[in-house]
Amino acid sequence: MEITFAVLLWAVRIAFLVILYLFLIRAFGVLHRSMAAERAATRAAGTLVVERSPARAPRVGERLTLRPTNAIGRDAGNDISFPDEAASARHATLELRDDEWWIEDLGSTNGTLVNGVRIEKRERVRFGDEIAIGRVAMRLER
Amino acid sequence: MTLLLRRRSEVGLIVWVAALAITGSVAVAAADAAAFDRRQIFIPVAFIALMLALHLFLAWRGVRGDQLLFPLAAGLSALGLILVQRLQPADQPLLLQQLTWMIVAAGAFAATILIPRDLTALARFKWTWAILGLVLLISPLLPVIGREINGARIWIGVSRFNFEPWEAVKILLVVFFAAYLEEFREVITHSRRIGPFPIPPVPYLLPILAMWAMAMVVVIFEKDLGAALLFLGIFLAMLYLATGEAFYTLIGLALLAVGGFAVYQLIGHVHVRIDTWLQPFSEELRFGAGYQIVQGLFALGNAGLFGAGLGNGMPDRIPIVWSDFVFNAFAEETGFAGALILLALYLLFFYRGMLIAVRAPTPFLQLLAGGLSFIVAFQTLVIVGGNARLIPLTGVTLPFVAYGGSSLVTNWMLVALLMRVSDVTARVRGTE
Repeated sequence: MEITFAVLLWAVRIAFLVILYLFLIRAFGVLHRSMAAERAATRAAGTLVVERSPARAPRVGERLTLRPTNAIGRDAGNDISFPDEAASARHATLELRDDEWWIEDLGSTNGTLVNGVRIEKRERVRFGDEIAIGRVAMRLER
Repeated sequence: MTLLLRRRSEVGLIVWVAALAITGSVAVAAADAAAFDRRQIFIPVAFIALMLALHLFLAWRGVRGDQLLFPLAAGLSALGLILVQRLQPADQPLLLQQLTWMIVAAGAFAATILIPRDLTALARFKWTWAILGLVLLISPLLPVIGREINGARIWIGVSRFNFEPWEAVKILLVVFFAAYLEEFREVITHSRRIGPFPIPPVPYLLPILAMWAMAMVVVIFEKDLGAALLFLGIFLAMLYLATGEAFYTLIGLALLAVGGFAVYQLIGHVHVRIDTWLQPFSEELRFGAGYQIVQGLFALGNAGLFGAGLGNGMPDRIPIVWSDFVFNAFAEETGFAGALILLALYLLFFYRGMLIAVRAPTPFLQLLAGGLSFIVAFQTLVIVGGNARLIPLTGVTLPFVAYGGSSLVTNWMLVALLMRVSDVTARVRGTE
């Protein structure tokens, strides 16, 4: 009776330490998974690389990081904005839908061009395609 | 059902916290069968119910982002309750008090998640926080509410409940510094230089310097070394985070050395602290002022690789072990293996906090998250260093674990603020 109690007591003490270790390992697992998920989220998003641009911003070669939804235009309230008179205040949106990028012209004056072709409504954009808004041309990359 | 799945990683970790709380409590209760009180079993059960309620609250509010900080804080708090159960003296019902404080802390956590609708709005009221902080710091010196316990006048109290205001001040200080440094970031970071050395833009730094100096004066008046060290640490860390100038930190450390020497010469209280650090085993000290640290060192020395087993050591020989020397008590009974995990949990907390800071969308939120994470890491280093006699012992508490209501409540509010920053980041980035 005495001996079994002592053995049980030690079992509980050892179990406590083991649980402590498992808790830490699981916590590291959660950290690792959340970091991997964040990395995946930023990788899928993609970037716009500026190819041609008038005198002032953005610089050629600049990489603009994309969010899942991006408003593009001359107005400073857009996610991506540049002071180009040829662009409309609210020009276009670039959106991620089920891992595919879609661009939509918001009725701009000078239109939105994908690979040199003016788009009518919503249009799929693939990685490597060139998007021209006003006098600014950008290439979609990962 | 969807409510339960929304924060799945979190609930997965809470299960482990629950297992930890129960095995720990059982191990402690069974070790001392004579003092066993059946009601003690309700403590871990109540704690687990509280944590599950908070988890459901977070899921219901749709808080996004981090799912690691809350279980880490819960795990550390569970260790705290186990240790208070282990270490409480027969004549003081500390465990019940700690559980009561845990409930208050949970309330404060929930309130912090709910109340500032817009986190960046905190920055607009920065002077309010600065003034509130100073008022709180002075409050223990006031009659009626101010109280002196164990020779330090750092408490305010209503009936049986005592609160250390500086614990709350550390958070207010971080919010104020973050807001101020964000507003004047341009002028503060682009300083002129002489050779490689930056010239600090003194006029712009004056308000934060003044705020810090006032905090120091009050704290020194109240003879609270730990708080003084913590405030200096927060100040230097946030200045470095905002400017990236290591030189300022070096100046600060040099000032600390000079100031420390002056204080050592002038204030007897500090003199004793340093002497007990340098030679606790000397004839005059080992049964006097050095008794606590000597017993603490014996506890560490007896720990070994796996310790004496929870409830099987003799950490109760250390005076006031439940608030000053919990690290040694935990190390003695779980050994190097347990102590290492405890420190690893803090490291994980700090790393996660800093990741939140790096990803935060605005400078204010970055500085806020960075400063708050720093508090937890720095407090752990200062108290564990003091417990192990690597640095002089100061009255800082081991976050979440040590007995003490004020520290528990403010640390849980700190976790809530970090989670709010993470939530804002997740919303801006459109991630879970």
